[in-house]
Amino acid sequence: MSGKIRWSGAVLGILGLALVLVVHWQVFYWVSTERTMGVVQRIFYIHVPAAWVAFMAFGIVAVCSAVYLWLEDERLDMAALAAAEGGMLFTSIVLLTGPLWGRVAWGTWWTWEPRLTLTLLLFFIYLGYFLVRSSTENSERGKRFAAVVGIVGALEIPLIHVSVQFFRSLHPEPVVMTPEGPSLPGDMLTTLFTGLAAFTLLFLAFFLFRYGLERMKRALAHRQLAGDGVPLPEGVSS
Amino acid sequence: MSKLNRWFLALALLIAFLPELAQAQSGLPDAGALASQNLRGYTHMFIAYFIAWGLILGWVVSIARRLGRVEKALRE
Repeated sequence: MSGKIRWSGAVLGILGLALVLVVHWQVFYWVSTERTMGVVQRIFYIHVPAAWVAFMAFGIVAVCSAVYLWLEDERLDMAALAAAEGGMLFTSIVLLTGPLWGRVAWGTWWTWEPRLTLTLLLFFIYLGYFLVRSSTENSERGKRFAAVVGIVGALEIPLIHVSVQFFRSLHPEPVVMTPEGPSLPGDMLTTLFTGLAAFTLLFLAFFLFRYGLERMKRALAHRQLAGDGVPLPEGVSS
Repeated sequence: MSKLNRWFLALALLIAFLPELAQAQSGLPDAGALASQNLRGYTHMFIAYFIAWGLILGWVVSIARRLGRVEKALRE
């Protein structure tokens, strides 16, 4: 991995970890408890940042995929793949932490209301991104098919955002991105923004490391194809 | 199918069937359950944080292990 990627990832990771410590102090010691939901509302401080990072990651996938289809630059495909992996991880966090809140707040783990259903659909679309990529004999064709899935999947993100306004929905409405401005009390808003910054920095750090890993995997695969006879290690595919 | 894809597929199946299992539980919480609402809130909150950081840590470890393997293969 190039020194530039390694150092950038390390710096972002350290900053992200520092903010993670701050946000945990805020969540468990500092921020006030929400009056009607009680302590379970504190799930909000990881649920919303995870959703934000997932949407950002899938946005990166869509942009890189679109430009990859145009320029066919391998680096864009590697960046899209790295971002998609992170996006899947953070969507999983959203889908697993949401029901834990819903069980206490709504009395049910899950309901097929628009935002939850669309988020689950987003998860499956990006699961398809990985399946399509690895399901073709021709890896170049697999990358192009995956790029199309990556673009189509990201079109759902604005729909998820507006779903609570346009459909009958149980999910709480936005409290930050509203025309009137944030409606949260100051301490809750500060904790939320710290969580958003921490998750964003951590995602960018791991995204860089994952991108570096993908570059090395492909360099290794090219060396093997060029006849150097270097065997691919276990769990590493070209 | 790569190891990573198998993990994603297993996670997808878990998420897909979780709601069905949840719906099998009937009714609203009774008075006793409502009384323990606050304690349950703590449990659910800690489980949520544990899951989130567990998944993130798992991804970091996975990247580190794969990096180690590829770096070793490139050195050889």
